[in-house]
Amino acid sequence: MQKKHVNKKNIITILVIFVLMPATLVVSWYFGNRKYYLSSVLIMIYAMIPFFAGFERRRPEARDIVTLAVMSAIAAASRVAFMPLPHFKPLVGITMISGMAFGPQAGFLTGAISGLVSNFVFGQGPWTPWQMFAYGIAGFIGAWFFRIGIFNVNRRFRTAIISFLVVLCIIGPILDTCAVFTMAGEIDMKILPTIYMSGVPVNAVHGIATALTLFFLGEPMMEKLDRIKVKYGMMDTEVKNEVR
Amino acid sequence: MANFKIKNLNFYYPTTPDTPSLKNVNLDIEEGGYITVCGRSGSGKTTLLKHLKTVLTPHGKREGEILFDGRPLDEVGLREQSSRIGFVMQNPDSQIVTDKVWHELAFGLESLGMEKKAIRLRVAEMASYFGIQDWFHKDVSELSGGQKQLLNLASVMAMQPDVLILDEPTSQLDPIAASDFLNTVKKINLELRTTIVITEHRLEDILYASDKVVVMEDGLVQVEGNPRDIGNLLREKNSQMFSMMPTPVQVFYGVQEADIIKAGPEIESAELKMGNMNFNSRNHNPSGNSVMPSERGSADCPLTVREGGDWLSEIFAKEKPGETRIDRGEAALEKADRFLDADPKECPIVVKEAWFRYEKESPDILRGVTLKVPPKSISAIVGGNGTGKSTFLKSIIGVCRIYRGKILIAGKKLEKYRYDELFRNNIAMLPQDPSNLFVKKTVREELEEMVSKDDPERVDSMGKLCQIEHLYSSHPYDLSGGEQQRVALAKVLLTNPGILLLDEPTKGIDSFFKKTFAGILSKLKEKGVTILMVTHDVEFCAKYADVVSMFFDGSVVTTNLPHEFFSRNSFYTTAANRMSRHIFENAITDEDLIELCKRNM
Amino acid sequence: MFFIHPAFLVVSLGFAITFHITIKGSESLKFLGGLLTFACLLAVLNPLINSRGERILFTYLGGRPYTMEALLYGFAISIMFVAVIIWFSTYNQIMTSDKFLYIFGRIAPSGSTVLTMTLRFVPNYRNKIIQLSNSRSAIGLGISGKKKQKVENALMIISSLITWAFEGGIVTADSMKSRGHGTGARTSFALYSFDVRDKTLLVLIIVLEIITLTCGIMGAAETEYTPKLYIQSMNSGCFVAGITAYILLLAIPTILNLMEEIKWRISRSRI
Repeated sequence: MQKKHVNKKNIITILVIFVLMPATLVVSWYFGNRKYYLSSVLIMIYAMIPFFAGFERRRPEARDIVTLAVMSAIAAASRVAFMPLPHFKPLVGITMISGMAFGPQAGFLTGAISGLVSNFVFGQGPWTPWQMFAYGIAGFIGAWFFRIGIFNVNRRFRTAIISFLVVLCIIGPILDTCAVFTMAGEIDMKILPTIYMSGVPVNAVHGIATALTLFFLGEPMMEKLDRIKVKYGMMDTEVKNEVR
Repeated sequence: MANFKIKNLNFYYPTTPDTPSLKNVNLDIEEGGYITVCGRSGSGKTTLLKHLKTVLTPHGKREGEILFDGRPLDEVGLREQSSRIGFVMQNPDSQIVTDKVWHELAFGLESLGMEKKAIRLRVAEMASYFGIQDWFHKDVSELSGGQKQLLNLASVMAMQPDVLILDEPTSQLDPIAASDFLNTVKKINLELRTTIVITEHRLEDILYASDKVVVMEDGLVQVEGNPRDIGNLLREKNSQMFSMMPTPVQVFYGVQEADIIKAGPEIESAELKMGNMNFNSRNHNPSGNSVMPSERGSADCPLTVREGGDWLSEIFAKEKPGETRIDRGEAALEKADRFLDADPKECPIVVKEAWFRYEKESPDILRGVTLKVPPKSISAIVGGNGTGKSTFLKSIIGVCRIYRGKILIAGKKLEKYRYDELFRNNIAMLPQDPSNLFVKKTVREELEEMVSKDDPERVDSMGKLCQIEHLYSSHPYDLSGGEQQRVALAKVLLTNPGILLLDEPTKGIDSFFKKTFAGILSKLKEKGVTILMVTHDVEFCAKYADVVSMFFDGSVVTTNLPHEFFSRNSFYTTAANRMSRHIFENAITDEDLIELCKRNM
Repeated sequence: MFFIHPAFLVVSLGFAITFHITIKGSESLKFLGGLLTFACLLAVLNPLINSRGERILFTYLGGRPYTMEALLYGFAISIMFVAVIIWFSTYNQIMTSDKFLYIFGRIAPSGSTVLTMTLRFVPNYRNKIIQLSNSRSAIGLGISGKKKQKVENALMIISSLITWAFEGGIVTADSMKSRGHGTGARTSFALYSFDVRDKTLLVLIIVLEIITLTCGIMGAAETEYTPKLYIQSMNSGCFVAGITAYILLLAIPTILNLMEEIKWRISRSRI
């Protein structure tokens, strides 16, 4: 997607990729002990900039803004519904569905914004940018896999299993990396596998929650969102933009 | 300042290209006027209002012309429209965009690209005018419904519109908040000369302030006129819409009608009694007062309780009425025996000294409630906001667990029930917002969620009872408020409850739907269902309830038959009672009052 | 914030604590006490994972060493960790969402509108979820026993929430359009104003940060704990410059707060 923005002469993106990112790497290389956390956070923030910048540049209409806010808020608030099941986190699943329905940009932004907002509730911390990034990627992957046919609402099992794997192998480890970088100063390569392994059970539960969300909600939600799109012509500019 | 001229407007929604939703509408909206548009849900009044602002105009085929200040509305720039034409919608919650009160006030001004200093001044002005200073810094999620709607009004007014359009702005508010809101609207009209166009079910609160009333039916403007004449015009047309009119109007014409039949040709003597007064109205029609006194209806139609009371005084000025109360005799005694002195053992719901609080440290919400609900009755609990009425219902179904006292459902202690046992063939509650129960794509699927697959007949019989058969294939969210409520009711009734709890069942629905709903309730009662409802709607209780209880400060203060209950209250009672209490002892409903007037003429 | 040189750590922790106390008062002591105990525990546990180091204090589990260096390192990272948490806790206290929006309102008007709306919707949706769940359980659809049913019911609630939320969203979009959203350039209003004092402070902060970072890159805070203890000498010019800038930088919030407090007391005593 970054290439696409370059095509659109997005100066910010060019600046980010060719100036800021290398500069960050160089500076942090010399920076001593905390270089991993600092540089990784900076790079993540840079990676998020094109999405936000693209959204701004598009001059989104009221309905696009509302759609994004509604999806982000649902993702952030959804945990309340699972009060009797404390480990069930549907946020990633809902973010993926948002990506499937509204395209990669909306998917990424849904994830990033719901990550940011839920931290306004629970308290910001060094983990905020990591969560924003990880959830954003989830939304992006949701949209991407949907486009190329890997996610398919009519094939619920396949979609659920793949989403489980995505969380287990990509989203979960990104979140774990945050813990590694925040807690440990020097990264001991021998310890790394242990840390990631110890994250597996949690990520598996997270993955199951995501898979179940997609399995049960994928189809009805896509239907609902389609109804909204048809009835009120919502987000159709978005769809046009993204399909092109 | 601005005005609208609507000429021969026809409008067709894309879903119904053959039947127009607006038919040949012609309407002049004058500068500084206060125009009330009324009609039942689906009569096209919202569609009409939405045509007055281009961004809100629905998609579809349109014929005719709308002129704003002499220019076609479409040619007026969007920016100019956003500031000059203000629009307040029905749902207070959904209209709010930002998370802080101060930011919401500024939102429109930000959109117009105003400078920060100028915004600051406007926001300050608005907050002061609307009395928002005290909650200026709050999160909108902390506000009450009434405050939210006031905020919506203030943030539209911040853009200094010439015209203010309000689409059923109080349908989601409780009566006190609603009349506060409508008073503010009137104040805006009187003090700022802002033109008001409003649709509203609560005509009693706005009719007297209006310059013009427009009654719509099936997309047509059925009647248009001065508020003092509108009752008569509707009556002449024999329109059903007459039943929407507020109590003073209903009684005025009800008595007149009776009078005509009784008096026959001897009009003169009746004329004496009818009184001959004119209210110092804001009547714009100077000829309004010049109607010949010999004509029937020379007295202007009263619009408010005060005017109605004055009118009654005038009628009975010479001769005190001989009969001042409706004696319900045996029937009343029998009712008292059946409903008030029911044997607790037979009562489906018995609550004894129930106490509840949400958290250990928080104050008590229920403070020793004691109540028994007689079998096969419609019982109502009335009371102000925040007195704990809704919490009380929740405690009866076990959503809120009381920490002291006891609750018996059908003779068995609530906590002894297993969860699924409690809600099978026993008790169920219709939530305040009926859409809370909707999860499916069509009405039929909603109902089928409640029954086993091999039992389609039950669905059908329930659909018939609740009069929703014609809606089966619709999406539940595409229905009007009254229809949604009946669908939700059907869904609730499919659990086959012997006890039905209703939380504010009449909120946001018009008088026709109320009547239909009441019909369904009495059918249920006949079938042996016990109904307990919590409501703000005093008029509805007076008409349809068997027993009324007053809830205050976390407990039931008094329980009585509706006639006794309301004739003893002086504030918390029906308009008919407030209007006539200086003359009659126990006229509660419009019909009571008309009946008593007739007897004394 | 991310230096592990002991002097830098002490400075960071010290100002984090004082600032936290000036903001939260006596309430903060309990919070800090708990946190520091946790930090000590974390420090003592570190050598169990990390066994590198020269000075062995004792061995356990058949010869696994517990080293001085690892212990010191444990203290260093846990102090750093605690300091970060304290800084963020104060940050959360001060950096409310409207201040956040004030900063981003001009750079990203659409993004910040989405953010403010999301912030407005979240509490609303949470309420609605509770309402939905209550309404369903009041007709017997709800939380009965099995996990599968619980999951299904909760997902049903989310599904219902989505329909409702979008119906409301359409009204919200109308309300935005009706108030001129999208008709042209937007300004961003805030209750704050950026005055001369703020500008001066901003410049000061940037300068101090650049100095600290440059010194950091030049090795002012260079420190190694394991396997061999190495701490940058406190006499080097680079270190002195770095730590001075660092102290000034971190002291700014506390000083500002205290100054306000003092001014307030003085002006009140004059009344």
